[in-house]
Amino acid sequence: MTSIVQNFRNLALSIKQNGGLYRSILQLYRVDEIKEGEYIGTDRNGNRYYQNKRFFVGRSRWVIYNEKYGLDYDGTHVDPEWHGWLHYVRDDPPTVKPPITYKWVTPNPQENKTGTPDNYVPYSTVKPKIEAWVPKSNKK
Amino acid sequence: MNLNKLFALKKAAPISRSILFSNNISTSAVSRDYKYVGVREEDLYSGFTNKAVNKILMGELMKGMMTTLGKFFTEPVTINYPFEKGPLSPRFRGEHALRRYPNGEERCIACKLCEAVCPAQAITIEAEERADGSRRTTRYDIDMTKCIYCGFCQEACPVDAIVEGPNFEYSTETHEELLYNKEKLLSNGDRWEPAIAANLKADNRYR
Repeated sequence: MTSIVQNFRNLALSIKQNGGLYRSILQLYRVDEIKEGEYIGTDRNGNRYYQNKRFFVGRSRWVIYNEKYGLDYDGTHVDPEWHGWLHYVRDDPPTVKPPITYKWVTPNPQENKTGTPDNYVPYSTVKPKIEAWVPKSNKK
Repeated sequence: MNLNKLFALKKAAPISRSILFSNNISTSAVSRDYKYVGVREEDLYSGFTNKAVNKILMGELMKGMMTTLGKFFTEPVTINYPFEKGPLSPRFRGEHALRRYPNGEERCIACKLCEAVCPAQAITIEAEERADGSRRTTRYDIDMTKCIYCGFCQEACPVDAIVEGPNFEYSTETHEELLYNKEKLLSNGDRWEPAIAANLKADNRYR
């Protein structure tokens, strides 16, 4: 019986953490579930990261994508700095252990741009070694 | 004495029905013995009402639906990608990246060891002397559709230039988008350096 009571308590807590009943329903529509958890931090894209060790590994850490993405959220919106924590590679989030970074590191992480006009198109990085022969004309 | 009595008894007594229909584990002298596996006539009509009621009220369907209902309230065993993601190893071999030194200089010295070791021959390298006299690649192409993600290239690399990063979310709509050139690989390295450097650091003890 205690577990049933606990379930209702967790549900009430998660509705409270998601900002009321209306916002919880919106969250259910966008994320398919509402979970209660500890707020860990926000990345450079504005995605928010949460953790609750009540759930098993794989479900215990999650990301709520920035509202600006709407329903077009994608796995590649996750910041590379947070990638390791979200994938359980390491336990310390970048807020606890600052990531290794340099001047030349891309400041704004990019999403996978396939299917958009900005997608990657391969090109050769060297000059062609064979050039077409242009015959000289004999006409005067 | 007792044994003799037993044999005597067995000789005297006729073969009983219980012996005939019992499960015999011996393999010899059982040709007369058999086990009836069909429906006996007396079993055919016993429990007829029970069976009929079970069938009319769809007992087995209801049992199945109750299992479904029960699973409705238990914790799901699946993960809700892309909000939740599965665990990875620091040694995970995903999308390739060319790394740089902390001062921004590219690491690759065009030794072509990765090109030589690549079992799928996915890597193409051309090298030239740069204006400042250092040996660098002019072409570093990886055909990601040939690559088998064995990780030999990153093991062969003497300067840790080519690595297989932790990214696996680079699926594309067309084939040509997976024919990476040097610029693409360097930009991958620039994007993923925090994750790659942390992974190399985490695994440093074992390399």
